[in-house]
Amino acid sequence: MSKISEIIKTTNLTKIYGQQKSVDHLNITVNQGEIYGFLGRNGAGKTTTIRMLLGLIKPTSGQIELFGEDLFKNKKEILRRIGSMVEVPGFYENLTARENLLVNAKIIGVHKKNAIEEALEIVDLHHETRKLVGKYSLGMKQRLGIARALLHYPELLILDEPTNGLDPIGIKEMRSLIQSLAKERNITIFVSSHILSEIEQLADHMGIIHEGKLLEEIGFESLRKRNRKYLEFQVSNDNKAAMLLESHFGILDYEVHDEGNIRVYSHLGNQGKLNKVFVENDIEVLKIKVSEDNLEDYFTKLVGGGAIG
Amino acid sequence: MADLLFTEFLKLKRSSMFLISILGAAVAPFVVVIATFIHEPATPFNDLFYNVNLYTVLIIGAPLYGVVTTYLFNREYAENTLRNLLTIPVSRAGFIISKMLLLFMWIMMLSIIAWVLTLTLGLLTQFDGLDTSLLRNSLKQFSTGGLLLFVLSTPIILVTLVLKNYVPTIIFTVVITLINVMAGNSEHRGLFPWAAAGDISNHTLPSTYPAEYSYIIIAGTAIIGFISMVVYFTKADIH
Ligand SMILES: Nc1ncnc2c1ncn2[C@@H]1O[C@H](COP(=O)(O)OP(=O)(O)OP(=O)(O)O)[C@@H](O)[C@H]1O
Ligand SMILES: [Mg+2]
Repeated sequence: MSKISEIIKTTNLTKIYGQQKSVDHLNITVNQGEIYGFLGRNGAGKTTTIRMLLGLIKPTSGQIELFGEDLFKNKKEILRRIGSMVEVPGFYENLTARENLLVNAKIIGVHKKNAIEEALEIVDLHHETRKLVGKYSLGMKQRLGIARALLHYPELLILDEPTNGLDPIGIKEMRSLIQSLAKERNITIFVSSHILSEIEQLADHMGIIHEGKLLEEIGFESLRKRNRKYLEFQVSNDNKAAMLLESHFGILDYEVHDEGNIRVYSHLGNQGKLNKVFVENDIEVLKIKVSEDNLEDYFTKLVGGGAIG
Repeated sequence: MADLLFTEFLKLKRSSMFLISILGAAVAPFVVVIATFIHEPATPFNDLFYNVNLYTVLIIGAPLYGVVTTYLFNREYAENTLRNLLTIPVSRAGFIISKMLLLFMWIMMLSIIAWVLTLTLGLLTQFDGLDTSLLRNSLKQFSTGGLLLFVLSTPIILVTLVLKNYVPTIIFTVVITLINVMAGNSEHRGLFPWAAAGDISNHTLPSTYPAEYSYIIIAGTAIIGFISMVVYFTKADIH
């Protein structure tokens, strides 16, 4: 893969506050065109990482390359290619949405005349001409934050928990908005969340951060392959059961685990039929388990579960 | 820089701070002119200007302009807008300087408003002794006072940037005022930059020390404040 397709690359990125390693030797890679989900529980170090990517705070050590260039060598030019929203977006509450965007447009030097209008249309706020942002609901502010991030036609969007505080419909809208931005405008998107299912529905790649460390970086396709669903039988005679699976059902995709546990990766939903054949052949079936929501298990296993937050 | 300054003006649209600061600047002219009118209507016009400028620069100025300063700088933290601006990106030094430019215009405007109010109220209450040279000199005195207080705002900006809150600035500026008042009769007051600013604008600097001392102390305070605030702000982590 050529180097330029790596949009974000961090090398041993570290931020220490006092004694605490908020981000600890983080190595992440985001490729062009990806929607990269950055998953971690509260306090995992997501926002701290994003602040470093945007040059808001200085890393204690480590490197950041964006678009193949060192962030700190060419910060101004690099930041112009990025749109971002960090935590809850802040606005001048005494101004309207248009006026707020005008502040950004003036400073960045967006010369395209209807850029503001276009950005507001994307997030469906173009009808709110009078209302001051101070009177906006949280969801509206969140959308306006996206509009502001899009104002200068960025190639990379960095969004920190963009669905925070949105209702289910708002979350769905935000998700399809992000997906359409990736598809239609070909924007690479880095989005953080603490909710696995959200990342799963949105992203195609994911990095999992826990206590500042990257636990895993993986594409959803291979993750799904690895976390396939299965049927698990606890039987009195696993040898015989395995033979039956092969001869009777032609199943080759199974694993025998200890204590007579057999995992079958096909024929999901047919546990009744399998069970019947086992019993008819004098195999005692002690337990049948249908695996569920493997991804959630996988995440819990990775971060160690326990208390929330 | 013109674009930055434009956005600074835009940010003030519908802001009540503008009106509040004007009310603050109107206090000294009203109190001085009305009180003088009631107690000593024979006072010459010159003294009205002198007293209003004295109160404005020594007593009201530091806290009032301090609040304006804090409003301008602190709101970007309080409203979480700074991290947006700094990521689009804007030069941190340019950002600070455009705010200072606005602060300068604001302080000068308040000084002129105090002057205009003194003049208008004095005319309405028919004080004697107004001529063109008094007009010219008093205007110069008010502007000098405003200019010096603006120059001395850099340490106040520094306090705001570091502590990101109104309370420390208010305490800081109230302490300045307190020292101004306590030093009012001291022959050493020319060594305290804010008190010296009042004396310089009113031409009442005590002759204890050469005037240069006061100028150097004011310039030193301003420059040290400016450098530390720019250095701090360009390096600071923004959360
Ligand atoms: N300015 C700071 N000073 C000291 N510690 C900090 C600071 N900012 C963050 N931290 C600490 O760093 C750790 C990571 O915080 P961060 O905000 O990056 O987490 P997060 O993953 O964004 O969490 P959340 O999902 O709650 O937003 C936390 O333990 C936090 O207390
Ligand atoms: Mg966070």
